[in-house]
Amino acid sequence: MADKLEVKQGTLALMILRTLEVLGPLHGYGVARRIEETSKNRLTLNYGTLYPALVKLEQEGFVTAEWRPSENNRRAKFYSLTAAGRKQLAREASDWHRTADLIAAFLAPRREEA
Amino acid sequence: MMRQIRSALARITGLFAGHREDDDLREEMHAHLDMETAENIRRGMHPDAARRQAMLSAGGLTVAAEAVRDQRGLPWVEGVVADLRYAIRTLRRSRAFTTVVVVTLALGIGANTAIFSVVRGVLLKPLPHRDGSRLVYLRQSMDGPAGTNVGFSVPEIRDFRDGARTLGGIAEYSPFTFTLQGDNDAIRVDVGLVTGNYFEVMGLSPILGRLTRPSDDGAGVPPVMVLTHDYWMKRFGGDSSIVGTHVTLDGKSVTVIGVLQPAPFFPDRIDALLNMVISEHHVSAMMVQGRTHRMTEMVARLAPGATVEQARTEVAAVYARMQGDFKDAYDAGSHYRVAVIPFKEALGERARLTLWLLMGAAAFVMIISAANVVNLTLMRGVGREHELVVRAALGAGSARLRRLLLVENLVLTLMGAFVGVLIALGGVRLLISLAERYSSRADEIRLDSAVLGFTFALSVGLAVLLSFAALLPKEGTIASIISAGVRRISGSLSKHRVQRGLVVAQIAVSVVLLAGAGLLTRTMVQLSNVNTGLRAEEVLTMQIPLVTVAELLSGVGDASAKDRYDRMRREVGALPGVTQVGIGGTMPLRNSQVVFDVKADGKALAVGEAMPRAEFRTANPEYFQAAGIPVLKGRAFAATDRMGSGRVVVINQTLADKFFPNDDPIGKRIAWSGDVLRFTPISGDWRTIVGVVGNTQDGGLDAKPGSVVFMPFAQELAMGGGLVIRTDSSAASLIVPATRVVRRIAPTAPIENVMTVAQIKDQSVAPRRLNAALVSLLGILAVIIAAVGIAGVLAFSVSARTNEIGIRMSLGADRGRVQRMILKEGGALLAIGLVSGVAGAFFAASVIRGLLFGVAPHDPITFIGVAMMMGAIGIAACWIPARRAARIDPAIAMRA
Repeated sequence: MADKLEVKQGTLALMILRTLEVLGPLHGYGVARRIEETSKNRLTLNYGTLYPALVKLEQEGFVTAEWRPSENNRRAKFYSLTAAGRKQLAREASDWHRTADLIAAFLAPRREEA
Repeated sequence: MMRQIRSALARITGLFAGHREDDDLREEMHAHLDMETAENIRRGMHPDAARRQAMLSAGGLTVAAEAVRDQRGLPWVEGVVADLRYAIRTLRRSRAFTTVVVVTLALGIGANTAIFSVVRGVLLKPLPHRDGSRLVYLRQSMDGPAGTNVGFSVPEIRDFRDGARTLGGIAEYSPFTFTLQGDNDAIRVDVGLVTGNYFEVMGLSPILGRLTRPSDDGAGVPPVMVLTHDYWMKRFGGDSSIVGTHVTLDGKSVTVIGVLQPAPFFPDRIDALLNMVISEHHVSAMMVQGRTHRMTEMVARLAPGATVEQARTEVAAVYARMQGDFKDAYDAGSHYRVAVIPFKEALGERARLTLWLLMGAAAFVMIISAANVVNLTLMRGVGREHELVVRAALGAGSARLRRLLLVENLVLTLMGAFVGVLIALGGVRLLISLAERYSSRADEIRLDSAVLGFTFALSVGLAVLLSFAALLPKEGTIASIISAGVRRISGSLSKHRVQRGLVVAQIAVSVVLLAGAGLLTRTMVQLSNVNTGLRAEEVLTMQIPLVTVAELLSGVGDASAKDRYDRMRREVGALPGVTQVGIGGTMPLRNSQVVFDVKADGKALAVGEAMPRAEFRTANPEYFQAAGIPVLKGRAFAATDRMGSGRVVVINQTLADKFFPNDDPIGKRIAWSGDVLRFTPISGDWRTIVGVVGNTQDGGLDAKPGSVVFMPFAQELAMGGGLVIRTDSSAASLIVPATRVVRRIAPTAPIENVMTVAQIKDQSVAPRRLNAALVSLLGILAVIIAAVGIAGVLAFSVSARTNEIGIRMSLGADRGRVQRMILKEGGALLAIGLVSGVAGAFFAASVIRGLLFGVAPHDPITFIGVAMMMGAIGIAACWIPARRAARIDPAIAMRA
């Protein structure tokens, strides 16, 4: 369990948006599974983390939700990306790339050491 | 930005989303669980294990639902609403507690709100004048009688205008009195004669018509009048058609040109403002050129960038130069001086000490009631300890508990504030009548938003204080308390330092208040016991100014006026019950305000000695007897002291002692002197002293009697005039018949100040009586609250120690011993409180020294009396719980 990571504040929203972009409309369980798989099970999402984040994205207008029958014929709430969500995803992704590059540059071994 | 707004809106609507959303959420989560379980089964788990695994990874459905709910709405608001509902429910359940707390708080908050509204209206509120903070009042004073404010002369003002660069503009204002002729009556109006720049400098605007301007200055222009807002409302009922009409002042027609915005005046309230031309005297060379002819008040506006300090320095320099240039106009021994005072301070100066005294007393009451409420809350807190512990155990953090307490206390203090404001609404009316005696800003007093803001801040501050006074179960101790499984028994008071400290503070503060009340009450009693110098059994006085001030200054109309005064004397004297009728320029126990330099024949002044000054009064032969002023030496005036006969005077004891400490004054000569006589029709001839009369308290009961010179009414100018009517029946019953007689003889003259001598005396005591009454009221309030406080804390201690007392009794302590134990506990607090209270009162008494008369600030009788009274009340308050302790039945106590 030592290699399990807590989801960092702010990154969860990005992951959810990206998941919905890639897989299209999805219920909470699907989102959680997808994020766990993508992280190769290094991340675990309990409901107390996932559902407030979904509600927040819905409040901000980045996702919409509707009740639909799921694959095993159970009613489930499906979330899908809105236009605003798509834009937000692009913005956040590019922000994240820039931040990651910056941090990587900072942490890169110095030339002399190499 | 859009994003924040959208999510805020969503959250606010989320507040009102009820169960439907919760059902949705539950369904969504269960769907999640089912899907995960199905997936686990698909992977080959046993259905039970699959379900369990799914539950585990969910991490607690309730917690998750709570987190979503927090995200969906505004958790803070929802929590507070819940707390509020809970608080109201609990408070309604403990109705006695709630009532006591609300009433205690309401009294404290009410007193503070009412008095703060007066302090704000009279002392703190910005002036209505444009940039009112830039206005300064200049006051010239000197030693001796009527020397506190001698005013300025036109040449002096001119010198300041030319010499003081820091004064951007100087408004001149000369107080004057006219008779306003109505349709069937005549009344006196107090006016200010002003220069054309007056309103510009003062920063005042008209609400109707126009104000005077520089083109209204000088002679040869029509007289115009601006009404003050007050007078316009009072006399003309706020009728706007008054502008442009004519009124008759002293027989002259004057145009009303406008109505001024509401504004306070200083030193006195006035009815209207006019340009100078109405008074020939004011535009005469005498007035304009006479340096000692001081009749004008000065308010200046500081030049841009100048400070009051700079103005003070510069005014002092200009004034010193004037004194050097005109030595005759500034008697060196009288120490002439000029003060520069911010106008707002000048307006509040008479009220300041009294108001801060009351504010201080009210603050003390607030402290005591707050202390009481803290104590009550603490006691209730002990009872609620169990509840709070259970809440903490169920997961409420200490911030959460604090918030619950805060909401509860806010409900309490705001309820207190509401009732307090109702109390204040009644109290303010009483306080306005007090403030009117001290300040012309009294009509600015109201419970406005600033005052209510003060009250609100006070309540919220109190609620915060109360919430933090309560002890919350400490995080680490919860387990031990719960595992003990019993209500903890609190020990003796020694474990409750805060409560003990509060009781001591309550007693101490009560002692301070009581001492203040005691000193002020003794002041009032001393004042009423002052010997006025007159035998004032049943004497009625009334003033009938037949001669206008303008006529007086020019000396016309005197003879006919004297004839009419004499007719009044004869006809009022013929009324049944009247024994004597005196005529005089000034009524007994009132100041004449007319003071001149006086010299005695053959007495040279010592170097540096102040020029003696005396009040100018006139009297007919019967005046002294009618007023009851004893003739100590020589004789009173006689009918033979007439116009044309030898000039004679009667002087009072003070002047006799001053001029003739060792000789008999009778037959000696004195004379009025000084440059200022030039401006009056009074001669500086020598006059022979024919009598000496006793001193009377004309300047108020607390003032040392000054020098007075009486002159025969028939021989001298009638400086105003009034009747002093002595009767062997009731003076008050003479008011109607005497007024009727006077009205017949002088149909258009104002009849003023129809008062018995007893009433005049009472007028001088009344403000002190009100002071003493208000502080006593607050003092009594404090004592009652403090007594409840002591009794309450001891009672609490007794109930908390019931078990212990039971043990003591079963081990052999008798009832007396238990009672003594509790009494000792209370007595110790009482003693400490008394000692610190007396110490505090010593300090407080020296602060209010200026309000005392005839009582030393550290008057031992007051202090001992107050300490004994508080001690007695304190012991009585301890007695009740002590007796209850003694009645405890050990068997029951220990079984409980």
